[in-house]
Amino acid sequence: MILEVADVSKRFGALAALTRVSFAVEAGQVFSVIGPNGAGKSTLFNVVSGLHAPSAGTVRFCGEDITGLPPERVNRRGLAKTFQITNIFPEISVLDNVRVAAQSRAPESGRAASLWRRPDVDGAALALLETFGLAARRDAHAKKLSHGEQRYLEICVALATSPRLLLLDEPTAGMTPGETRDATALIRNVVLERGLTLLLIEHDMSVVMGISDRVAVLHFGEKIAEGTPEAIRHDPRVIEAYLGGGDD
Amino acid sequence: MSVPGWRALLVFALLAALPLAPGMSRYYLLLAFDALLFGAIAMSLDLLMGYTGLVSFGHAAFYGLGAYATAILMERGVQSVWACIGAALLVVGLYALVVSYFATARRGIYFALLTLIFAEVVYTFFRYTQTFGGSDGIQGLPDATLAPGVLIDTPLRKYYLVLVYLAAAYATCRVVVASHFGRVLVAIRENEDRARFLGYNVQRYKMGACMISALLTGVGGAIYPMRSAFATPDLMLWTESGEFIISVMIGGLGTLVGPIIGGAFFTILRDKVSSVVDWYFIVIGGVLIVIVLFMPRGLLGLRQLFERRSGRAAA
Repeated sequence: MILEVADVSKRFGALAALTRVSFAVEAGQVFSVIGPNGAGKSTLFNVVSGLHAPSAGTVRFCGEDITGLPPERVNRRGLAKTFQITNIFPEISVLDNVRVAAQSRAPESGRAASLWRRPDVDGAALALLETFGLAARRDAHAKKLSHGEQRYLEICVALATSPRLLLLDEPTAGMTPGETRDATALIRNVVLERGLTLLLIEHDMSVVMGISDRVAVLHFGEKIAEGTPEAIRHDPRVIEAYLGGGDD
Repeated sequence: MSVPGWRALLVFALLAALPLAPGMSRYYLLLAFDALLFGAIAMSLDLLMGYTGLVSFGHAAFYGLGAYATAILMERGVQSVWACIGAALLVVGLYALVVSYFATARRGIYFALLTLIFAEVVYTFFRYTQTFGGSDGIQGLPDATLAPGVLIDTPLRKYYLVLVYLAAAYATCRVVVASHFGRVLVAIRENEDRARFLGYNVQRYKMGACMISALLTGVGGAIYPMRSAFATPDLMLWTESGEFIISVMIGGLGTLVGPIIGGAFFTILRDKVSSVVDWYFIVIGGVLIVIVLFMPRGLLGLRQLFERRSGRAAA
């Protein structure tokens, strides 16, 4: 198991954002977490990636307890995250966005030598931009990119830190159906090529069903179902949650 | 060497030849000293303001502590430039470690506020401690020595002292800005939350930037009494910090060269106007307001404007 989330609860004051959520992701899997808006999906990601410490429960990554570690330490262990609302470095070039991410794995990182040396990460950075069709935009300021391009840059920046587990928070948010299809195919290819494990948050069911090995469903902060996409599609509790119900 | 490297070398060669210019009196040499010193300190502050996105309102304390380090040693008969600079590095380094640790623990306005408060505490300490001369500071210092028997006693020698300091500080800043570390500083300025998710311990990088900036400023402070023969608590007053910030702004944030020009411009303007009228800051203030309002990229932005114009004319 590359990631084990056990009995994780997160409360914000009186609000129970997550209640005893457990699941496990195997290496090489594409695991999706779905649920209606406000189901607690982003909170779950924030707990896993270190932004929030859980109120209860544990998170284990590659067998080691990472519960409550800050984001930078979680990232250094090989877990990278993208954001639902694009979160890049706006006033520097597209290439510099990816460079600063890629160099965090250079041997100089965190050492005194980083003060005078500049690791050459251009090869890796350009290859990533190439994969996502951004190579021609390398010198543009990141804020000048279109929405779709920024979503791709968001993924490039996360991938540049060479993660073993990639967390994508609604990567296709704001895309048209056509763009969503392309993006989904591209993400699946990249994940396969790099042998990554992918943990995906989506509320768009069509994205999830195409690429997931396993799906968990959150509803009001609780996991109400988990299984193969096929099983989830026909699960009455899931249909209930998505089609309105939920007031019972 | 790269083109900017050659250009910097050329500028420093011209500055080294400046004393040969016709009409370079004692007065102008010392004004040049002040201008370059102020420029170097504004450049050091630019590492924080322009690159890391942190505005320090307490740089006067680093400056003043460096000056007192020299003054206290000289008062006790130690005249070596190296000993004074070493002492300044030690004292300013320790102080900056404490300030930067607490100031970077909070975000936004708190950094500015904490650097200001710390600096005011240091100012008050020196202002009211009679051992260090209280409000008069330490006056009547001897000339510094480069080596036993080699005095830095003429305006010309003092000018070269500050020029070497500026060159060393500039080289340091250039290297840091171009390094792995410098890239992270810019990422922090742009989006510090995301930088954390790339594996960077943001507070450590901010502290590092503060330390480098403070140490360079402290060395500048250590050199000042070697020209003026005194150190007073006024060097640590918050208005001094404000003038450093203004110099960075009018020169051009995040350019290193801009703040050098800004600091020199500010110093020369103040000197010229204050020799004519007492209410000189009203005049300077007017000039600065015009620059900030109409040249948001500072004096260095003028060059880009000019290049674009001439580029268009050529096309």
